[in-house]
Amino acid sequence: MSFVPGIGLVRGMALTLRRFFEPKATIRYPEVKAPIAPKNRGRLQLLYDEHGALKCETCFQCAQACPIECIDMGGTDTRSRFAVHWGPAETYAERREESALRRSGRTVPDPSSASFAPIDLRQVDEILDAHDHDPRHLIGMLEEIQEAYGFLPVAALKHLSFSTGAWYAMVYGTASYYRQFRFEAPEAAAVHAGAAAGQARAEAPSAARERRPSEAAFLTALDASLGLGAADGPAAGGAGPA
Amino acid sequence: MSVVGASWQRMSLTGRILAIAVPILVAVAVLGLLGVVLAGPIVAAFLGDNVPLVRFAAAVGGILVLTIPTAFIVIYMELKVIARMNLRIGPDRVGPFGTAMSVVHGLKFVGKEDFTPTGVDVQVFTMAPVVVFLATVMTMVVIPFAPGLFGLDLNIGVLYLFAISGLTVVGLLMGGWASFNKYSLLGGLRAAAQMVSYEIPLTLSVVGVVLLAGTMSLNQIVLGQSGSFVDWYIWKQPLAFLIFFIAGTAEANRSPFDFSEADQEIVAGFATEYSGMRFGFFFFAEYVNVFVMSALIVTFFVGGWTAPIAWPWPVDLSAVDPLGLGVGLLLLIAIGPVVGTIVCAVPFWLASRFSTLQALVLGFVVFNVLAILAVMGWAFISFDWVVGLAWFFAKTYAFIFVFVWMRGSFPRVRIDQLMGLAWKWLLPAALLNIFVTASAVLILNR
Repeated sequence: MSFVPGIGLVRGMALTLRRFFEPKATIRYPEVKAPIAPKNRGRLQLLYDEHGALKCETCFQCAQACPIECIDMGGTDTRSRFAVHWGPAETYAERREESALRRSGRTVPDPSSASFAPIDLRQVDEILDAHDHDPRHLIGMLEEIQEAYGFLPVAALKHLSFSTGAWYAMVYGTASYYRQFRFEAPEAAAVHAGAAAGQARAEAPSAARERRPSEAAFLTALDASLGLGAADGPAAGGAGPA
Repeated sequence: MSVVGASWQRMSLTGRILAIAVPILVAVAVLGLLGVVLAGPIVAAFLGDNVPLVRFAAAVGGILVLTIPTAFIVIYMELKVIARMNLRIGPDRVGPFGTAMSVVHGLKFVGKEDFTPTGVDVQVFTMAPVVVFLATVMTMVVIPFAPGLFGLDLNIGVLYLFAISGLTVVGLLMGGWASFNKYSLLGGLRAAAQMVSYEIPLTLSVVGVVLLAGTMSLNQIVLGQSGSFVDWYIWKQPLAFLIFFIAGTAEANRSPFDFSEADQEIVAGFATEYSGMRFGFFFFAEYVNVFVMSALIVTFFVGGWTAPIAWPWPVDLSAVDPLGLGVGLLLLIAIGPVVGTIVCAVPFWLASRFSTLQALVLGFVVFNVLAILAVMGWAFISFDWVVGLAWFFAKTYAFIFVFVWMRGSFPRVRIDQLMGLAWKWLLPAALLNIFVTASAVLILNR
């Protein structure tokens, strides 16, 4: 092969001369169009560098740009610190809108029927009649509903909003602002909080934790995951015993 | 408003231009005719007294004009040939098969801003492309294109050739120095170092040819190779041919030795600060230089304008004298095209796929092609210089094709490899070639 000096030059030139006469790969685009299926979007492929490491830097630009939301990414960031997730859902809230979901043929979640349990609404209707469906009596109505049910069921709030014409955001905001209102039954909350918090926190249960048992459970779990263990929550762990 | 003003107001733009231009043209034509009639004999006598001067002026003018289509064709070849070697088809939008592409390139250079950066030495900066271009063009004066078709038959043609082509270095250094930019200066120095180094083996390799031919006149060197292709100096001087080819490639700044503007690696070298037509002239010169190098290879080694084999069936058309027809010739000129067009249109008309008008247009085109072919064939048979020119250009463009082919094939060498090749291999080989050739001439002639 390389016994003759300079044979490489000749072979290189022979190659280019062969190429010179071969059929050409160019497609004269506006006149000639390549036979490409209308559904073709090319091939999606992740590339590897010369060390075999994935070249993808998890920048999510492809997921953001994908027109049909088929790219949905999860992974770690470039320094392997955080688990990150990014997809069109995070980028484009409008793609989760009902019309977009309907157009893309997906099931449409109905928050007004699916997210809360139905209840017997007769007591609510009586209370509303007593207050003449007047949204200005919102706090009074809410207090009576809580008296009747023991807590504020979401279905009741929805019904209140629907019947009085007050925005649900306003009803919910009012209910969540005042401390006397609670959204879960008190006995369930006590059991839940007791089971989750254990013995150590029995001395100083704050009023808020009593009132919001699921939040209390979440905070306890958070304490545990942060290594604060048996301490009494973030305040006790950070600034000394309460 | 006067009558003149009213009619001026009514005229369209074209009419106004014509109303101004036509009287001027008429006046110029009348004055020109008067000048020819009155001063014609004097000018003719002056020209007749100074035939060498006229011949030289005509040659220089012809060569300057020749550079334009030459550069365009070389650029087009470069675009198209390398494209085909890359399995592309290259330019095909501008003109038929993209042939007008290089013209558009030239127009682009003219249309660009010709920028003069702050701090440059304006005179030198402007003169540098001119020097490079003229150094290239002036070498063409001594190249014999065909028997009797050369600018000057200098008896020191080879010396003149290398002296003038050495001026290119001056132009490159001027451009690099005057640009007021250290990178331009470095680029200029690189280019100058390369060209100076390769001038030496280039010149020394031709010494063998000069020894064989016994003359430094390029025309005489070509005549020394007349006969058939076995008389070409490439067979007697294969080593010199190889050296000349390699050194010529480097001298013309062609790949794989294109260091002065390695387009993929450095920012145009000495031409960094240039733009517009001043930049264009550098590249104009480069492409003309490719033509010159190929022409020199053809002249020195491949027999110049001589045919590779003598045409075995000589045709003598001197018996055919169209002037002998007298008035018949005028009639032939008047009627011939019409009859020819109609005759050529008849097959198309009979094919009945075309209307009469279409058939006539096609017939006209076909007749023109046939007539041009006939005239070219007649000229080829009748005139020595047409044959010579055809062979010269065929050989030259074959070598230009090889240059372009090499550019499409080879990677660029390193600058130290470039210098090492020139000084360690080509120079000793050229000296060896001279020694062997001189010994052979001495021994065989005695």
